[in-house]
Amino acid sequence: MAAAALRPAILRRIRLSPSPSFSQPFAAAAAAAASHPHALARWLSRPMSSHDAHLTREEVVDRVLDVLKSHPKVDLSKVNPDAHFEKDLGLDSLDTVEVVMAIEEEFKLEIPDREADKIDSLPLAIEYVSNHPMAA
Amino acid sequence: MAFTMRAVKVPLNSASLEEARHRVFDFFKQACRSIPTIMEIYNLEDVVTPAQLRSSIAKQIRRNQEVTNPKVIDMLLFKGMEELNNIVEHAKQRHHVIGQYVIGEQGLVKDTASKDQGGSEFLKKFYTSNYF
Repeated sequence: MAAAALRPAILRRIRLSPSPSFSQPFAAAAAAAASHPHALARWLSRPMSSHDAHLTREEVVDRVLDVLKSHPKVDLSKVNPDAHFEKDLGLDSLDTVEVVMAIEEEFKLEIPDREADKIDSLPLAIEYVSNHPMAA
Repeated sequence: MAFTMRAVKVPLNSASLEEARHRVFDFFKQACRSIPTIMEIYNLEDVVTPAQLRSSIAKQIRRNQEVTNPKVIDMLLFKGMEELNNIVEHAKQRHHVIGQYVIGEQGLVKDTASKDQGGSEFLKKFYTSNYF
């Protein structure tokens, strides 16, 4: 888990210069990738993968906040990325489960019971979704 | 088939309130995960969103939130499971699902309220829940 978090950080610092011994498409791809180190990291780790849905943290935060705002019982003014469902937003345990289910639907995940019980605040939800490999 | 998998083979027997509470949340999650199937079976795409169905299921569960006896909770859960089974195996029809879960009790009470002007407070509370 730590290695997966470190890998993009390490790969971000690697820069390959496009060498003329590469074949044409590789040279073009490497040239384009060298100017965008993040894209290069993705290209190196999963070159032919069609699973290129890589959620950035801001995107996860935005979508989780949208899910919360569309819940009928949530007060829109209190929604911020640090809110606790029961203490700050005044939801009860059934509402918390409902919000977790809404997050499951939004990101096309299936969260097992053990993990779902631990998610009772927004920072935990955002962290769980960001770390989930299948989040879409 | 989905309904045979869902049938409760062992009768629920919760030892404590905590276990019963856990079972309620499991049931709620199971119902929420069946929502896409339900929307497809009954063609509810234009009528209601999954979020509204989740809220309506939560409302039904919340109607019994005052119950503290684990055995009563088990019985209510059994009835809920039976209802969910019926809906998922298409034993109900579209107007049942729309009338009971999309419009809900609220819609019907609102419709009758304008007609019977003398609707008493007791009756309104009686229509919403057994416990008041």
